Amino acid sequence: MNTLRLLPLLAGSLVAGAAAAQDAQTITVYTSQPQDQMAGVVEAFNRDHPEITVEIFRSGTTELMAKLAAEFAAGQSPADVMLIADAVAMTQLKNEDRLLAYEDAPVAGIPEAVIDPDMTFFGTKLITTGIIYNTNMVEQAPASWADLARPEVAGSLIMPSPLYSGAAVIHVGTMTQQPEFGWEYYETLADGGAVAGQGNGTVVEAVARGEKAYGIIIEYMALNAKAKGSPVDFVFPEEGVSVITQPVAIMKDSDAVEAAKVFVDWQLSQTAQEQSVAQGYFPILEGVAPPEGYPDPASLKILPADLATMLSEDRANKEAFAEIYGG
Amino acid sequence: MAADPALSRPVRGGEHLLVALVFVWVAGLSVWPLARLFLEAFGPGEDGRALGLMAEVLGARSTRRALFNTLAASGGSVAVSLVLGAGLALATGLFALRGRVAMTFLVLSPLLIPSQTLALAWIELTGSTSPVLRPLGLAPPPGTTNPIYSGWGIALLMGIEHMPLVFIAMRAALTGLPGDLVEAARVAGAGRARIIARILLPLALPAALAGGILAFAAAVGNFGIPALLGIPGRFPMLTTLIYQRLNGFGPSVAGQVAVLAMILVALALAALGLRALVLARLAVPAGSGAPLRPLEAGRARLWIQAAVWAVLAGIAILPMLALLATALSPALGVELRLSTLTLRNFSDAFANPTILRAFANSLALSVAAAALCALVAVPFAFLRVMVRRPVIRVLDWLADGPWVVPGTVVALAMILAFLRPLPLIGSLYGTWTILLVAYLARFMPLVLRPVLAAAGAMEPAQDEAARLFGAGPLRRMGAILAPAVLPALSAGAMLAVMTAVNELTLSALLWSSGNETIGVMVFALQYEGNSTAAAAVSVASVALVLGIALALDRLAPHLPRGTLPWRS
Repeated sequence: MNTLRLLPLLAGSLVAGAAAAQDAQTITVYTSQPQDQMAGVVEAFNRDHPEITVEIFRSGTTELMAKLAAEFAAGQSPADVMLIADAVAMTQLKNEDRLLAYEDAPVAGIPEAVIDPDMTFFGTKLITTGIIYNTNMVEQAPASWADLARPEVAGSLIMPSPLYSGAAVIHVGTMTQQPEFGWEYYETLADGGAVAGQGNGTVVEAVARGEKAYGIIIEYMALNAKAKGSPVDFVFPEEGVSVITQPVAIMKDSDAVEAAKVFVDWQLSQTAQEQSVAQGYFPILEGVAPPEGYPDPASLKILPADLATMLSEDRANKEAFAEIYGG
Repeated sequence: MAADPALSRPVRGGEHLLVALVFVWVAGLSVWPLARLFLEAFGPGEDGRALGLMAEVLGARSTRRALFNTLAASGGSVAVSLVLGAGLALATGLFALRGRVAMTFLVLSPLLIPSQTLALAWIELTGSTSPVLRPLGLAPPPGTTNPIYSGWGIALLMGIEHMPLVFIAMRAALTGLPGDLVEAARVAGAGRARIIARILLPLALPAALAGGILAFAAAVGNFGIPALLGIPGRFPMLTTLIYQRLNGFGPSVAGQVAVLAMILVALALAALGLRALVLARLAVPAGSGAPLRPLEAGRARLWIQAAVWAVLAGIAILPMLALLATALSPALGVELRLSTLTLRNFSDAFANPTILRAFANSLALSVAAAALCALVAVPFAFLRVMVRRPVIRVLDWLADGPWVVPGTVVALAMILAFLRPLPLIGSLYGTWTILLVAYLARFMPLVLRPVLAAAGAMEPAQDEAARLFGAGPLRRMGAILAPAVLPALSAGAMLAVMTAVNELTLSALLWSSGNETIGVMVFALQYEGNSTAAAAVSVASVALVLGIALALDRLAPHLPRGTLPWRS
């Protein structure tokens, strides 16, 4: 191919670059939800709102926060909407005055507990953390967190690290707040040979491939892998599960606030709730049935958690975890 | 060289313009970002002491561990590269084996397969659910961590990935040896083994060693393999430590990671210095003469052929089969049978607009980068070869910088240079442009080197004549130089496209929403726990590069000899 024939391609690619520039009907969503799921979300959203283009930037919650910090240093961020795993990261953004207060958000039917009192972020789902195991390798399914501490189980256990995963931040924060677990529980697991991976993705990989027999993981990743045919199953431990709410928020500096509000409204709507149920999530809206094979959310035993303390101890918790399981 | 001053004045004016163009190009793309990195790394520490930052980072335990791991894995990988590369070069270079073109293509295939894909393929190949090893009963037992997630695994894979560097150097050295030496030895009664061991090997080994040192420099800067194997395997290396620090803590740690980047630069430069030394001190001039004819292999030929194919199966064919099998399987951990075979991973991947856009972005970026580099390479070569200003020699040397230093360093330099808003252009961070700028800097030498070589081989009298007749620089460049270097230019640009289209190292630190690349997609899907999709995207990207390579191969008759490495 010679240079002359390359030129039209070059021109085309420069135009493509320029067209990526923002306009009011394009919103950029920073999210920690997996790629294929977000593709489904955007497709469903565009069925109701074809006039709005949604750009997705996906990474782990911790990495998203670092990316935002870099973009703020550069002057501005393209992010209009955040849809990330946990309220701790959202609260950080709120405290830095990065989030828009959306007073009129349609929150009827959404439990007050998952809504920021200042109306800057709103929970969109319930995601619980429990136990995954490989059905080819495990005969007696574990029933409780205590079961994981048994040496023959801990030796083949993998968990996500709060240094990568927002869900793990909440899970470790919640477990260490329980008097019967605390950091001693994590030390017992580590002494038994348990290891920490990165995000929840590394956990489902290791257990589905049979490298590890047990894992600590968010429920839908395990149950979706099971539905696709991977040899895994999931247990809601009897002591209770930790919960994250995948909050959504609008960035204060967004140049497409109206379109962003439409997206947030839609996230809290019945349609979106049913769509996320189809992707394996517990619904958060009253009256929406959970995915098939999931327990009734009302029957779930949820471990109590103090988010304010968790936020103030965030860094210490991550350091303590890294101390036990390595960076 | 001295021309009539009356004639040369307007000529000089055009030259000045070209010099200014090339100067701005190299200074803006290579010198300024790397200089920015140096400034950051040599900055004061938290307590304000001069060079404090460097002292802090160099003293940290994590730095020492990453440095030690980098040296150990890279050193191990060189051993693998040397054994494989030299062995394969000897086998295919000395004997008349059947299927030599196919063999050479497979030997060089790691050049076409990006390191993240190679890592993914080996993860599938060596795990306990390996679609290749499990049916044979050779897979590791369930419950054991995949052995590839280790320093040994990283060394093995980087060794395979960079083996072509040794192979190419060794093959070139063997091809350059005079046949007379072998004839003389044969007349003196030496057998085949003796000829190889006592004559050919000693003469070709310095070249292999030089190739091995290049492989070391490449290994030190490799990101894809340590990222996919070393991050989960808790084997931090310098490139992954930089990535993790920057992605975990953001720009507040830019100074610290700049110091880590300087260690990488120092290692790469040390390797290149050592290589120059080896070539200057150890290379033996073997004289010229009729080229070496293939040795008589006799009955050994079948054995040698079988051995070469066995090695190639192990390093090139089986891993790709394992990758393909994963791309075709319905879910992780499911045994692949004819009944479970599915194309769903491919259809899902290409129904995802982000993945489609990643393919479009990678193609656009690599083609745009190659085309712009080609546009600059011609005036660059003109100035370097025909005008020969000293400043151009310096620029020529500086333009190699972003290719010589590891890609992670280039990406970091780009962030430091273009993160804060600059007058006129603003901040480039988070845009398509910063990726393009990084690609331009990084892949320029791939286009420039062949063009300079072709220009250097031209008959200087043509240009002299044109100049005496008063032709201006633009005229001489367009009418004399450009047609002569066109084949080298197109080949260089195509090689740049093939290399850039699967780029990961730069993209991993520079991508943003809407500006995904294929490499980033593979990496991200794997991290999400969606290996089947990652495998499907990898298979598609390898098919794309293979398509480009085959198209190039069809063009081979029109290209100068030696442009396509697998045809030499």
